Amino acid sequence: MNDLANFLQFTTWPPRADWLFWASLILVAAGLLGELVNRRLGLPRVVGYSVVGMLLAATGHGIYSNGALDARLRLVVDLALALLLFEMGSRVNLRWLRNNKALLWASAAEATASFVAVGFGLTLLGVDPLISISCAVLTMAASGAVIGRVGAELQSAGQVSERMVAMTALNTIYGVLAHKLLMGWLQLEQKGDWLEAVAQPLYAFIGSVIVATLLARLIAWLMRKLDLRNENSVLMLLGLVLVALSVARVLNLSTLLVPLMAGMVLRNTTERPWVWPRHFGTAGGVLVLLLFVAVGSAWTLQALAAGAVLALALLLLRLLAKALALVGLARVSGIDARQGVALAVCLSPISGSTLVLFSEVQARHPDIALQLAPVILSTIALMELAGPIAVQWGLRLAGEQQPHAAPNREAKR
Amino acid sequence: MSLEAFATSRPLTMGVELELQIVNRHDYDLMPGSKDLLRVMEGVALPGDVTPEITDSMIELCTNVCDSYDQVLEQLTITRDALVRSADKLNLGLSGGGTHPYQHWSKQRIFDKPRFQEISGLYGYLSKQFTVFGQHVHIGCEGPDQALRLLHGLSRYIPHLIALSASSPYVQGNDTGFHSARLNSVFAFPLSGRAPFVLTWDDFLIYFEKMTRTGVVRSMKDFYWDIRPKPEYGTIEVRVLDTPLTIEKASALAALIQCLARWISHDRPFELAEDDYLPYTFNRFQACRFGLDGTFVDPKSGEHRSLREDLNVTLHALEPHAVALRAEPALRYIREEMRWQGNDATWARGVFEKEQLLNELVRQQCERWAGRPI
Repeated sequence: MNDLANFLQFTTWPPRADWLFWASLILVAAGLLGELVNRRLGLPRVVGYSVVGMLLAATGHGIYSNGALDARLRLVVDLALALLLFEMGSRVNLRWLRNNKALLWASAAEATASFVAVGFGLTLLGVDPLISISCAVLTMAASGAVIGRVGAELQSAGQVSERMVAMTALNTIYGVLAHKLLMGWLQLEQKGDWLEAVAQPLYAFIGSVIVATLLARLIAWLMRKLDLRNENSVLMLLGLVLVALSVARVLNLSTLLVPLMAGMVLRNTTERPWVWPRHFGTAGGVLVLLLFVAVGSAWTLQALAAGAVLALALLLLRLLAKALALVGLARVSGIDARQGVALAVCLSPISGSTLVLFSEVQARHPDIALQLAPVILSTIALMELAGPIAVQWGLRLAGEQQPHAAPNREAKR
Repeated sequence: MSLEAFATSRPLTMGVELELQIVNRHDYDLMPGSKDLLRVMEGVALPGDVTPEITDSMIELCTNVCDSYDQVLEQLTITRDALVRSADKLNLGLSGGGTHPYQHWSKQRIFDKPRFQEISGLYGYLSKQFTVFGQHVHIGCEGPDQALRLLHGLSRYIPHLIALSASSPYVQGNDTGFHSARLNSVFAFPLSGRAPFVLTWDDFLIYFEKMTRTGVVRSMKDFYWDIRPKPEYGTIEVRVLDTPLTIEKASALAALIQCLARWISHDRPFELAEDDYLPYTFNRFQACRFGLDGTFVDPKSGEHRSLREDLNVTLHALEPHAVALRAEPALRYIREEMRWQGNDATWARGVFEKEQLLNELVRQQCERWAGRPI
């Protein structure tokens, strides 16, 4: 047999499947399951992708299976999030915030309310204040990945869809800033070095804005000469976003802020509409699928056993705080109470951004991360399935889901 | 079902209705927003009204009864400014134009109102394809018989009005080659086109009775004619215009119709005859397809000339009536438009040629509608 294997020039004997095989298998499985949950249960496809991730974690192959975040999967998360955040940023029109100040207030109110509710609520439930505040910071950002993907799949359109994009972009910015401050604070507690504690977050923020602006300018200059609906141009755009992301990684800037801000700068420094295929076509689509599998696998049985109850409390507090703020400011910002509730529900998912922020805490302050892990990982795990369904439900409540986005249901009527 | 009595109205007064596109500010595709817009507009005092239309990416505004061009322009300005302010608050764009250049009809949602749902049930996809945007102009009439005479007199100028107002060259992402592609959508409806040639209200009642007996028609609303009598207002309603890209143009077109109405009812410049309708569909097609360069067949003499030439002659004849109605600026506007670009369809093609992006065209349309510099 060995002779035959030699003769056929097999690289290994007995044949062993390499990582490519498994990765491809995951792609196929996630694709199939996504289609299945969509057709049979009428749920967003990403639910299926997440389920595959959850199964990987349950069988001990999740991205935290060795305790720390797997570097290769972190890369996938970074790349896919970069695309989604860039796309989201490019939809945020700052003129809108100028024309409708109440919207800015509503955004500040929902972010502050959920920060206070989570920080204070968890402390009341007996969690150490430092850990409670860290949890509040890490869960400040709503999930750009979930709203981006589910919104696109349902082809939603309307005030809630527009506002969930703008508010997610804004609270991602608040979240990243708060996270940098938190990291500075932790640094101060440990080393007592004021300069480092202040300089680090400042560097990360300003540096991210500079790289983002450069990227936006480059894209605007290049794409004026090309047609973004052409496949080749879209691939170049994808490449540019990824180059900026790797620059951010090398310079230790925020991998969330750079793409998000680049999208926002692009949108707001040029009047011309920027139109490209969703998620930059198929290549981006594959990354997005892998993102949901990876984030879906970001939990362990131990973490879930230890943190599920607190995570549930956190999610409820957060949702309640957002709902109060958004319903309270609904009328003055131009929507009704029902749309306010729908918006709060759409902003409830937590996923990739929180994972990235958490992994940065883990890299610098493993001791804190150890205490945070049960709650944060459980929160992500719970929301990985519930999040897309929540967004779908919210959009349906607001009446913004395309009627034909669920073809099978339509056909049965 | 019998037709209601023809209400009294002051002759030659006008009312203008404009159907508008509601678009998002990202890729400028149509976006459901009429409900939100109407909610934000609640309590705003307007000289006319703002109401929903068949799909929730459309909205209609109208003026009150106006006497003059100035008054129409003033009322449209107030309503336009209020609408634009509300749209800004919701990050929506508002645009004129007879069609949205690249919306997909299948994505449009029928506004939740019994009549619209009923229309949708009857006409199926046609009602969603009817996501087109027009300007309607009502002209007050002395009485029903005069209304019918005016209706058939104005029919001669339907092609001219189509050519001037045309602003719908693009449909579903493509240049149709037409100046007004919108009217092709209207033509799909079984009861569209010209009204029957009857010159007295009694004869019209007989016609209406016969139509209701067939079960095809229940009210005047079921007729999608180019011009139709509107008995409850005591007016006739000209319905062939595409919504122009600016309120200035919309006001000028309304005033032009008012001048034509005065000329036709006062001077009786030509005799009405059923045979005048012989070249009607041909002229109408030429106007939709080629705009002001389309051929106009004179119904009386059978002569062929361009719509532009015939319009120039007509504008000359209208001058004294424009003076009487204080509409000279409106006719000046129309003349200027004919010299400069002809109609908004030509402007749109120019923008597309330069920008090569229909999304950018709609953005510029929104800026023009808002009265902001591009």
